[in-house]
Amino acid sequence: MKFSRKALGIPYAIFLVLFVAAPLLVLIYFAFTNSNGEFTVSNLLGFFTDPNTLGTLCYSFAIAFVTTVVCLLLAYPTAYFLATSGLSNKGAMIMIFIMPMWINFSLRITALKEILSIIEGNLAFYPFLNSVIGMVYDFLPFMILPIYNTVSKLDPSLTEAARDLGATEWNAFLKVTLPLSIPGIVSGVSMVFLPSMTNYVVLDMLYNSTYIMGSLIGSYFSAYNWHGGSMIALILLGIICLFTLATDDLTEEENAGRGGALL
Amino acid sequence: MKSKSFLSLLMVLCILVSFSSPVMAASGNSDEIVLRICNWEEYIDEGEWEEDEVIDLESGNVFGENPMIGDFADWYYETYGKKVRVEYSTFGTNEDLYNMLTLGDVYDLVCPSEYMIMKLMTENSLYPLSDAFFDESNENNYYINGVSPYIREIFETHEINGETWDKYAAGYMWGVTGFVYNPEEVTYEEASTWRMLGNKKFYRQLTVKDNVRDTYFAAVGAVKSDLLMDPAFRNSEDYLQRLQDEMNDTSPEMIAKVQDYLQSNKDNFYSFETDSGKTDMVTGKVVANFQWSGDAVYSLDQAELDDCYLEFAVPEESTNVYFDGWVMLRAGVEGDPDKQHAAEAFINFMSRPDNVIRNMYYIGYTSVIAAPDDGRIFEYAEWNYAADDDEEDTVEYSVANFFAGEDADPDDFVITISEDQLRRQMAAAYPSEEVLDRACIMIYFDKEVSELTNQMWINVRCFNINRVPVWAWILAAIIVGVLVFFIIRGKRLAGAEYGEERVQRRKDKE
Repeated sequence: MKFSRKALGIPYAIFLVLFVAAPLLVLIYFAFTNSNGEFTVSNLLGFFTDPNTLGTLCYSFAIAFVTTVVCLLLAYPTAYFLATSGLSNKGAMIMIFIMPMWINFSLRITALKEILSIIEGNLAFYPFLNSVIGMVYDFLPFMILPIYNTVSKLDPSLTEAARDLGATEWNAFLKVTLPLSIPGIVSGVSMVFLPSMTNYVVLDMLYNSTYIMGSLIGSYFSAYNWHGGSMIALILLGIICLFTLATDDLTEEENAGRGGALL
Repeated sequence: MKSKSFLSLLMVLCILVSFSSPVMAASGNSDEIVLRICNWEEYIDEGEWEEDEVIDLESGNVFGENPMIGDFADWYYETYGKKVRVEYSTFGTNEDLYNMLTLGDVYDLVCPSEYMIMKLMTENSLYPLSDAFFDESNENNYYINGVSPYIREIFETHEINGETWDKYAAGYMWGVTGFVYNPEEVTYEEASTWRMLGNKKFYRQLTVKDNVRDTYFAAVGAVKSDLLMDPAFRNSEDYLQRLQDEMNDTSPEMIAKVQDYLQSNKDNFYSFETDSGKTDMVTGKVVANFQWSGDAVYSLDQAELDDCYLEFAVPEESTNVYFDGWVMLRAGVEGDPDKQHAAEAFINFMSRPDNVIRNMYYIGYTSVIAAPDDGRIFEYAEWNYAADDDEEDTVEYSVANFFAGEDADPDDFVITISEDQLRRQMAAAYPSEEVLDRACIMIYFDKEVSELTNQMWINVRCFNINRVPVWAWILAAIIVGVLVFFIIRGKRLAGAEYGEERVQRRKDKE
């Protein structure tokens, strides 16, 4: 048999079929059937008519949104100064931001829990705040890296040209640097926003007893309601697809700048 | 508890034994009976007590030298002349046990809680106890000769599908539900009602069980509090029956009410816990937690070691009597009289007063065995809780209801206790007659009700969209508007500036 480069893709193709396509089909099957195995759309309608599931979706959005905004506000200045400063060992600086990720995440949250207990006394008093703090702690590096990557690849002569043509430093940033770093921001946002909608371990560990999408799906499955659980998982998948489509154009120009590469 | 390492060693041994069992059985040791028992974790005395742990009762010392399982095998050989080998394994929750059974694990004797016994009874998985087990003239029948009249009556009067529980089940440990609370923060009056769950004074300082049955019962008690406390209801003739019906109300309307009650009070809870409540009480993070009386005794004991004095209150509305009981499984013992005999002998051995004391000491729960004629279990209760001779504020506490039944002379089983024990370990270990008068059993949920309550339990933890305040809607609308504006503008700009270039690039590629 002649060896072609296409053959290199076979292992991944098998993986894709077994662990992505097949489970997805199973998911779709369960989402659109009831416990008697008959086709039904009641799971879908049920999700959008039940105030509890809709509320959980909104709550997840709220947590994810606040987390993303806080991450962005913290990450952009950091990444910007790292990328534009004349520091000789930027690699070491970046390392410092990645380093927390070397430690297991549940261990970090446990440590955070102890610190927050000392500050707040009773953790349960501020469930929303604690969840956001935990999420930001967990996801901040995922926001810094793509932005850093994009900003550090910008041609400095563009900013210089803007300054030469009379723009103030602030204007040059606003009109040139910021728009050009949008692809990095969008990558960062999608790497923070979507996971923080489902990362319920943070909530569990920090005494927030309200469900978000991840725990909601889990609870349906542990209550043996596979059909409802599959439908919620599918809806979440749909939301992720929509989000990706909506932001796709914004990252297209600078695909090379996508931050995932560094990870 | 006692040495964990020993426990894990035992479990490893169990696994080894269960792997080797087919070989052993096949090797022709036909006179050896293999008894497969599955019990709760840490729910039997493991022996190996320290020297100073000896319980020095007047009628003799009780000391756990060897694991109870081994003692049983020795006793069985001495008494009946047959060798028995116990394969002992454990489970974590009733649901775990049920899953193990449905997945094909076979046991002869298991020890689930009352509702799981009822479920197994309806599914016809249990094998009835033999007539010989109930023969009171046989002195080796420690169970039937020793079981508390109070528990016996419950077993004899409750039915599933027209069969009484005692036909299949023999009790092991029992108790009631209530609140453990910190008397420095909470008064007895506040803690002795299920409405405690919604008491905003203890905002975020209560824990409840992450378990739909227990929390459902508590919430029903809170929702129906007015009715349950009404003197007309309390003095009605068939009070106990009516109470039982009210507390077991699982109509869809009631489930909806409970969901609403729990959802609106969810923010009052520190957490939904399974085991952490005990520690959180001692460290002072919470001021009250829903607790089973057996764990309450343990919490109180542990807290005392840290000089923290907690108390236990049983709500005035009603309380739930729970128990764990030994049942034989049809899949294991049917058609094997030797095995059935060994299984019943095991129950009896567990019910022998000195073993009862060993187990109670080790586990901290209260056994269903009273053995008033033997007297040692009553003596053990005195040994634990009776006031010292020189104590001043003492009261007489009658436990006659448990030890001798309603007809007994109430002066027979009276312990002189210090006054604070009325709200402490004594009250949790042996609930007073007045508490038992308002105690009822919680019937198991059938499939339909289970589905409803499970969904209710999920919904409780959800954020109900109807609770979103108006300002949040407005804020969300503004944010979405701004985002959409920027995305569309960004796309337009990108399209206008780079559109042609992009088309050109695509053409180049082709």
